[in-house]
Amino acid sequence: MDLILPYLATLAIFFFVYNILTWGLNIQFGYAGVLDFTFITFVACGAYFSGVFALGPGQKSTGFEWILGLSWPFPIALVMGALAAGLLGIVIGLIAINRLRSDYMAIVTLATGTVIYGLVSNYTPLFDGFDGLAGLQTPFSQWLNINYNQFTYLWVGFCAVVMVICWFIAQRILNSPLGRTMRAIREDQEAAEAFGKDSVRVRLIAMSMGAVLAGVGGALLMGFIGAFNPAGWTSGETFVVWAALIVGGRGNNWGGVVGSFVVAVLVNEATRYIPPIPGNATLIPTVRNMLIGASLIAVLWLRPEGIIPEARRRFYQLPLLPGRRTPAGGVESAGS
Amino acid sequence: MPEADALLRVEHLSHSFGGFKAVDDCTFAISRGSISALIGPNGAGKSTAVGLIAGALKVQAGRVHFDGHDVTRLPAYKMARRGLLRTYQVSREFPRLTVMENLLVPPPDQRGESLLNALLRPSVGHRQDAALASRAVDVLETYGLLPLRDEYAGNLSGGEKRLLELARAEMANPNFMLLDEPMAGINPALIARLDGHIRRLRDQSGITFLLVEHNLDVVERICDRVVVMALGRTLAEGSMAELRQNPEVVRAYLGGGLDERAVG
Repeated sequence: MDLILPYLATLAIFFFVYNILTWGLNIQFGYAGVLDFTFITFVACGAYFSGVFALGPGQKSTGFEWILGLSWPFPIALVMGALAAGLLGIVIGLIAINRLRSDYMAIVTLATGTVIYGLVSNYTPLFDGFDGLAGLQTPFSQWLNINYNQFTYLWVGFCAVVMVICWFIAQRILNSPLGRTMRAIREDQEAAEAFGKDSVRVRLIAMSMGAVLAGVGGALLMGFIGAFNPAGWTSGETFVVWAALIVGGRGNNWGGVVGSFVVAVLVNEATRYIPPIPGNATLIPTVRNMLIGASLIAVLWLRPEGIIPEARRRFYQLPLLPGRRTPAGGVESAGS
Repeated sequence: MPEADALLRVEHLSHSFGGFKAVDDCTFAISRGSISALIGPNGAGKSTAVGLIAGALKVQAGRVHFDGHDVTRLPAYKMARRGLLRTYQVSREFPRLTVMENLLVPPPDQRGESLLNALLRPSVGHRQDAALASRAVDVLETYGLLPLRDEYAGNLSGGEKRLLELARAEMANPNFMLLDEPMAGINPALIARLDGHIRRLRDQSGITFLLVEHNLDVVERICDRVVVMALGRTLAEGSMAELRQNPEVVRAYLGGGLDERAVG
């Protein structure tokens, strides 16, 4: 029990965080059709900025240097990390979305992310280069006297609360006229423009709201691990989130939950705790990547819409008020 | 035509793709409340002209005036917000939105499209949606599409998609509809229904129409005026009866002595 419970708690944290990440990518791609191939950059942005807001000042003499270092309470640092990621979403969105369409847009996001990766890992005054941020005190430890296991359980609860807030953000966008317009733009951008929809504005909103959720997820990881460096956000990590979204089903947030459980938790995180096989140290990570790839191919062949496909919205499931006219002309008070 | 009567005025419009001049010094005007047709052999530049007017293509030379304003080079979504609505040669429904949702996208000024309202005051958008939905029910009833309201638009037949295009356009409250071959590929019974709807919209809502159309029977039946384009420029304007007397038009397009490009 002493081992199992903290292990399950750790998996729960990864599950909750990956839910948030998958919903973020869902807002960008599942709702609005924005091909963001640098999603992990927004996660990193949230992690780094929450880190430098929560950490104390870095000092060059000690070999640790970073910007800010404000020692703010972690919940506020988390919000700052999310905002920073949202801003970065607008910046990358302006570069990628403004003039380009689908596949070119994807290439530009990937290229921009690579540039940012190179900059962050080489320019040490920013986030200490390739060594990254480290030494973050466990959040809440200034108010509570708890050991590391107790902190893990506390963090499960904290992540759950944050996750519920993110769920409401994602669902409210999806069920609003804004979400409908995003989906229309995903289906046919030109036709949506012909109906007066400003597709650049709407896709920028999707890009930056998705990035905000990415930043929240990154900040939760930062708070849990206490450290963050470029080894944690190589471009391959983006495709774990992509695989989760495609496998689970895009365009609805339950699909994101299923996908993040199957791909991100069962395959990607749980297998990290399998002890390495002697003489074959790289076997398990390789098998892990193969499993992710295989599940992606299987879903695209057998069930291209994902395990839980986007729901068809019937008239009375549309977010409308009850008591309106029915097609027959009577009055029906249907729930949403 | 007096300045005030023209809702749309196109002056010396030119557009090239690479070295090919698709539209070459094209000039015409469409009077308010009319149903006009833009005809011409394939490759005459009609669809390019539609794209230029609607803002989907950037005007290279010439001017477009709409409703008393110079709207040259205005992007497509701004043209739509000024009340100019265009449809495409092929139906451009939103396939994975239901028919009902397809009708709820077009209405202008939706307050639920603001991020803050969507996040903090969802009832604002939902209340407006309820009103729009009850109007959409009426519109769908008019077009006979109500039984299909919960179907994905992508699953509709070709003819139903054509009706949906018009129903959707009606929801946007336009004052000008630019229809690019609305009758292409549909059966005669449906053609009669579509031109009935076009006339109804003009008579009831005062919407001005410009149709790109190859079916000259339809043009003769419902259009007040016809603009003929050939090789990127305006060849002639007038009623169908006048154009039949015009030897240049007959040579370019209308029956007899057609060259290869003009066929079908």
